[in-house]
Amino acid sequence: MNLGFVIGVIGVLILSHAGYSTIQYRGLLKITEEEFTGPPLNVVLELIVGLALSMWAALTFPGKFLSIHPDSDENRAVSLPDNSDFMIFNHRGRLFPPEITMKF
Amino acid sequence: MVTKTEETELNQLENQVENGGGGVWEYLCLVRKLKVRRSELVLKHGLSILNDPGKRSALGPDEWTLYEQVAIAAMDCQSLAVAQNCIKVLQKKFPESKRVGKLEALLLEAKGMWEEAEKAYSILLEDNPLDQVIHKRKVAMAKAQGKPSLAIEHLNKYLEVFMADHDAWRELAEIYVSLQMYKQAAFCYEELILSQPTLPLYHLAYAEVLYTIGGHENLIAARKYYASTIDLTGGKSTRALFGICLCGSAIAQLSKGRNKEDKDMAAPELQSLAATALEKEYKQKAPAKLNLLSSALRSLKLS
Repeated sequence: MNLGFVIGVIGVLILSHAGYSTIQYRGLLKITEEEFTGPPLNVVLELIVGLALSMWAALTFPGKFLSIHPDSDENRAVSLPDNSDFMIFNHRGRLFPPEITMKF
Repeated sequence: MVTKTEETELNQLENQVENGGGGVWEYLCLVRKLKVRRSELVLKHGLSILNDPGKRSALGPDEWTLYEQVAIAAMDCQSLAVAQNCIKVLQKKFPESKRVGKLEALLLEAKGMWEEAEKAYSILLEDNPLDQVIHKRKVAMAKAQGKPSLAIEHLNKYLEVFMADHDAWRELAEIYVSLQMYKQAAFCYEELILSQPTLPLYHLAYAEVLYTIGGHENLIAARKYYASTIDLTGGKSTRALFGICLCGSAIAQLSKGRNKEDKDMAAPELQSLAATALEKEYKQKAPAKLNLLSSALRSLKLS
């Protein structure tokens, strides 16, 4: 388990803890009959930290991203496969067989 | 289709293998994956693995695929004895196999014994009448015997059943071009572009066929397809850049006698932009030929 995975797990745990805190906070507000205007400041900070950690982990853990440009070197078609289903052996090269030895 | 990174990797492995470094098995796997035709190298290095019983057993079950690959490469290089031996080994291992049967018929083809090969293929077709590879071999045989019209007939019948086979459409287009039946070739390329619209090589080939047929509308369409090739390759296709310059000058020549209303409305900057892009590329890659290019482009614009 490399660093990205561990940080991703920590990020998800922080986010779920923030969610749980918000639910508890709303329960407290119901008791004191106040309006829910937004989660408290420490929960917001926790959310931001959790967001940063999870995003970093999501970008580093899966590994190398593939290119989506159609003209990048990985995606650019330089040549089509030589049609080997229609390959004929009747070409001029048959007059020059190579010197080979086989022992099987 | 072979991408640029795969091509560089292939060339690198080829150099490594030719100069005595290791990596023979990776090279053979890459050739098999990319379906390129490198028969001499495959034969030489495949045999070097097969001749050595230690390396042979190190391959495990891939040994038989290697035998098949070397057999086909041997047939391409006309080393029929090697091919015969490989097929014998495969026959001993897989006695009733259709795949080995196909290889045997292929060997008959390589020897030039067309009737026997024909008979062998018909027997194989009886067991499996919808075998694509065997139908394609019949087309190849007709082509090898120098009967392109028969090859076209077989290929058309094949395409009525298997319409989605790109290789077959490409082969049909090439046969039509070799017989100078350009309109039919244009139709085949249209089918290819419909099925794989993001492949710039088909756009390029279609544009070239349209340019060859000639005529005002075809030249305008050819220029559009050259432009789409440039779009898809990000400007890296020198051939398409040249195509645009030539189309522009051909259209200008054709429309000299016409009225002003028929004049070519599409971007007049296209030709000059293509010319500047070409000069930039030549300056980068072949500065010695830049003068030649500039004079050629100047004569195109004047004509």
